[in-house]
Amino acid sequence: MTYAKTVSSQKSTWGSEMLNVTNLNSGYGEIGVLNDVTFDVKDEVFAVLGSNGAGKTTLLKTLALLLPTSQGRITLKDADITQMPAHLASAHGLAYVPQEGNLFPALSVMENLRIGGRTGSRPMDEKLDDVFTLFPRLKDRTHQQAGSLSGGEGQMLAVGRAMMQEPKLLLLDEPSAGLSPLFVDILFESIKEAREKRGMTIVLAEQNAVKAIEIADRILVLSLGEIHLLKERKNLEMKDITAAYHI
Amino acid sequence: MEYFIYSLSLLVIYVGLAQLMHVQFGLLGIPNFGVVGFWGAGMYLTGVFNVSLNMPILLSILAATAIVSLVAWALGRMILDRSGQAILCATLAFSSIIGVLVISEKWLTNGVRGLGTIRYPFASSDFAELGFAIFILSVVIAIFYVSIRLRDSRLGRVLLSIRDNEELAASLGKDTSGTKRLIFALTCGVMAFLGGLSAPLKQFLVPYLLSPTVTFTVWIALVLGGKGHSFGSIVGVVLTVGMFDILIETYLPLPPEYAATIQNLKLFFYGFLLVAVIMFRPAGFLGAGRMGAKPKHATSTTKQEAAS
Repeated sequence: MTYAKTVSSQKSTWGSEMLNVTNLNSGYGEIGVLNDVTFDVKDEVFAVLGSNGAGKTTLLKTLALLLPTSQGRITLKDADITQMPAHLASAHGLAYVPQEGNLFPALSVMENLRIGGRTGSRPMDEKLDDVFTLFPRLKDRTHQQAGSLSGGEGQMLAVGRAMMQEPKLLLLDEPSAGLSPLFVDILFESIKEAREKRGMTIVLAEQNAVKAIEIADRILVLSLGEIHLLKERKNLEMKDITAAYHI
Repeated sequence: MEYFIYSLSLLVIYVGLAQLMHVQFGLLGIPNFGVVGFWGAGMYLTGVFNVSLNMPILLSILAATAIVSLVAWALGRMILDRSGQAILCATLAFSSIIGVLVISEKWLTNGVRGLGTIRYPFASSDFAELGFAIFILSVVIAIFYVSIRLRDSRLGRVLLSIRDNEELAASLGKDTSGTKRLIFALTCGVMAFLGGLSAPLKQFLVPYLLSPTVTFTVWIALVLGGKGHSFGSIVGVVLTVGMFDILIETYLPLPPEYAATIQNLKLFFYGFLLVAVIMFRPAGFLGAGRMGAKPKHATSTTKQEAAS
């Protein structure tokens, strides 16, 4: 029996189940990347770690319904969304911040934020205030084209826009990639705040294992498209992670 | 005077076609290389309705527009979710199919012998030609008005988001496929409407009118003027159709033996302009406008970040 099949039965202490992934297979056309991946995400920060090519981005893209599922099932709050068109996922409370190409460069900062803010029930201005409180730098650049932002500001904008969607489940793909340590700290603080103040469930794929483990409740490690381990943070030892990166 | 009105009307129609390509390609990123197919289908269907079925000309144009819009919607459903190259090839193939159908379906189009005569609306009036030219101008002004309003609207921002990052737009809840199909069908329908308006100008429809040159001229004009700029189409068409097809070929007092030379010079001039624009002003003479201008503050912002 694979590890994937045993982890699904683990009990968690973080409330009700938000996302359930069962026997997921996915990839790019003929090339399979994920193989029989099974796990669930509760009301928590759920970190997905793994070396380059482990399948983190493929997993998040599949969960965002941007890649077809060749086998398996994805349920979000008990609703089967496996075959749902990607544009309907947002209305079901799912937001996704890709690692690259996560902005609309020709639109201004404000337009980027507003284009994400059409979902949810809170007034647009209230959501904008929240984002500007979280990322004051963006407030000074509302009319600037997003394509002219620095890497760190761009990442803030991408996360801010996802928060404008008022998601129940936020998928973040390597938000710290290419950022200076200062920006990484600001970004991870904002992720913690989104979790604590807005109660968002967060799935965070990261290369920066140390930072991700700091804020995660549970950690899943992918290796060559399969689950290598899934543990609560308190039971995790660094040697578990190191072993996965050396496979 | 009559020929001058005809020439100006044709120029305005080209401006309209280029402006529609500004919406399709400049705002939405659809590389439609079948402009002549949609324009030509509109023109020929108008001719068929008007000549064969004796429908009034304006009604014929509207019927042709509706049919071409539906065909474009169906075509869009098949091709618009594919890559840019695939869309380019498929639309080019579509226009070739229209060209072949016009020749082969003699029972409908009279084949190479041609279809006519198509008269202006209110042809008995002394001002029929001028009135029709003003009507064409009004239609193209309306196309400009709508496309400029569209660019600054919420839908316009959705179009730009689809152009720049379709996956991201979909993940934000935008129905990218549906939006592309809708805009493609509507704009191709308006291309057909312009084709319908061209039918009384041409009066007698023959297959060679559906030459790929129409598509290429529109594209060259779009690239020269600036595909992302609202008024790029005017500059591009004036530089191409206006300069050569009207000013030089028609009104410059050149000896007849230069006719062939002028044709070759035209191609040389188009090529030269294209190379020069792509080298020195890649966004076209008028630039990209607000929708894709190069970042002006990138360097300073990066410096600020580095300093922090």
